[in-house]
Amino acid sequence: MSSKTTNPIMYSAAWRISLWATLAFAIGTMFVFAMLHRFVANDIQRRSDAWLSGEVAVLADVAGRTPKDRLYGRVVGEVAELASREVPDKLRSNSNENDSVFFLQAGDDGTLKLWVGAGDGVPNLAAIRARKFISDVPYDLNVKGFNHPFRIASVRLDDGSHIYLGLSERDELRVLRNLRYRFFCLWLLIVLFGSVIVFFVTRRMLGYVREITEAASRIGQSDLSSRVPISKRNDEVGHLALTLNRMLDRIESSMHQLHTITEALAHDLRSPLTAIRGKLEIVLAGDLKMEQSEPIVSAIDELDRLTEFLNASLDVAEAKADALRLSLSEVDLDRTIRAMIDLYEPCMSEKGLRMNLHSAGPVFIAADAALLHRVIANLLDNELNHLPASCTVSIKLGTSEDAAMLIVEDDGPGFASEIGLHMFEQRVKGRDSKGHGLGLTFVEAVVRAHGGSVTASNRSEGGALLSISWPRETGEEIEAPHSPTHLNR
Amino acid sequence: MRLLLVEDEPEIQSFVKQSLVEAGYEVDTAESGNAAIQLASQYAYHGLIIDLGLPDQDGIDLILQLRGSGISSPVLILSARRSVDDRVKGLEQGGDDYLTKPFAVAELLARLRNLLRRNLATSEEATRLRVLDLELDFISRRASRGGEVLNLSPQEFVLLAYLCRHAGRVVTRSMLLSEVWGMRIQPNTNVVDVHVYRLRGKVDTEGHEPLIKTLRGIGYVLKDH
Repeated sequence: MSSKTTNPIMYSAAWRISLWATLAFAIGTMFVFAMLHRFVANDIQRRSDAWLSGEVAVLADVAGRTPKDRLYGRVVGEVAELASREVPDKLRSNSNENDSVFFLQAGDDGTLKLWVGAGDGVPNLAAIRARKFISDVPYDLNVKGFNHPFRIASVRLDDGSHIYLGLSERDELRVLRNLRYRFFCLWLLIVLFGSVIVFFVTRRMLGYVREITEAASRIGQSDLSSRVPISKRNDEVGHLALTLNRMLDRIESSMHQLHTITEALAHDLRSPLTAIRGKLEIVLAGDLKMEQSEPIVSAIDELDRLTEFLNASLDVAEAKADALRLSLSEVDLDRTIRAMIDLYEPCMSEKGLRMNLHSAGPVFIAADAALLHRVIANLLDNELNHLPASCTVSIKLGTSEDAAMLIVEDDGPGFASEIGLHMFEQRVKGRDSKGHGLGLTFVEAVVRAHGGSVTASNRSEGGALLSISWPRETGEEIEAPHSPTHLNR
Repeated sequence: MRLLLVEDEPEIQSFVKQSLVEAGYEVDTAESGNAAIQLASQYAYHGLIIDLGLPDQDGIDLILQLRGSGISSPVLILSARRSVDDRVKGLEQGGDDYLTKPFAVAELLARLRNLLRRNLATSEEATRLRVLDLELDFISRRASRGGEVLNLSPQEFVLLAYLCRHAGRVVTRSMLLSEVWGMRIQPNTNVVDVHVYRLRGKVDTEGHEPLIKTLRGIGYVLKDH
């Protein structure tokens, strides 16, 4: 599938869709996790606070009732029991169990009265005293020398001293960190996996769409009888293919009908015309006097004009309906025009017209050679029929990035203003024109059938200008640039 | 020379046959593809004229069938179809030239002569050609009349050469366009006439007998006697 894309993957719709989908999914899941994380953290905090408050009350009670000399022993026992019972994470092995809980009694003068815990309790007391206010609800406290903050609950004893019970938040934080770490790993995995799935699914889907587009454009260019590929699934893309194919069926059938009609019309008109012309010619070949042959000759002339008109009308009808059957080949526009100029130049100079060509060398286009000849012949016939003597016809051939530009201009009277916008419509012609009014229509229709365009205008300095843009074969290298030639006749 | 005319329209068949007979050919006629195949297997024809729209089969198929059974005589296709690809198909599949209806009898005869001659004689391409006192040298690409070199442009030389090769026979404008300029177009201006007129100005100078004659409504002929 990807071999057909010429665009880098970054520009594909599948890439953009999966990028946005991934972004939305990632942000969404992250947000949900943040809410859950907050809920869990709060809940753990609330539970440990309740426990701390309960324990500190018990310890206050113990401190109140126990004599001072035995207090230390009691408290050590209590704290050890607390530490062993309440520390949840049994995995930790490298740290001292005793540093997870401390008990501290401070006198109202700020001296350390009783300390149970790791170390000498001085930094703990300093940290507690550094806090400006004393609160009844548990709070966080960072102590110098410890990596993790403590959750502190305090109570005031009757003798004015305070007792503090501190529980390290290490385990709580570790649980939360583990939670975050695991979530992040899983989240990354899911996001990656999801985006890959989204990318491939959309690419597959859009691949069908692209196949349909490619097939449709191929059909539009050449072969009306083929159809876009149909996927078996009954989804939007399947419907698109079916709809396109139904449309193509109708187009093909009306095109076919048009061909049949023009074919039949051509045939039915041509056979009698052939017979009439043949009979007239046979009469003419007999021994006739001059005045007898004259009407027959003019009848043959009329027949030929009729035939020409019939051909031109049918050609224009087909070309207008985009039903021309093109047999494309590579044509050098420059050479074709030079040959045409060779053909037309004597006739032009006979009428007192000059022709010149500006061309920078070969220009290769994909064209139906016979139709191209007729297009150029039509343009030059037009000039011959409409220009007064001593005018100049300039033909300029140039190229742009993807098109060959053919400009035919003259310094004659220009297009009649009443023709205006209807230049390329059938049977529209200047007041003095002797033609059928089909020439430019045919030119425009043929050029359009090749994917090009024609514009006609009057030059500001006087005279008509016809500009044809003919798509160039892509990837066609132009031969070594010739020095611009200026062909004056 | 014996020709087979395959055409189902009686009107057209009759006048084409009459013209061919008057031009000195022996002509057999067939109204259908089957009849044509029967006749062609019985007699050896020098040339065939085949209409593409036959009642029982397509003219192209008929040509294919004839070629398949070893008949290699030149074929002139008559067609009321217009599209180029049909004509080209006809040519590629063994037809040698084609004419679209309606056609001028003179054109038919001219093309037919051309075809028959092409088939009979000659791959020996002459390097020199003489028609009366007109002499063409294809190597130096010069023409002279009565010993006097004619000052011709390359295009005019090609045109004169074509007329000389067909000396004594009618050459139509569309033949000139397709053979000399390589284009199948029908200009509604007298572009070809002006070329011939100019050529005539150089070839038929004063003191010489005029060689290039215009046949009104038909074309040109270069006198050879």
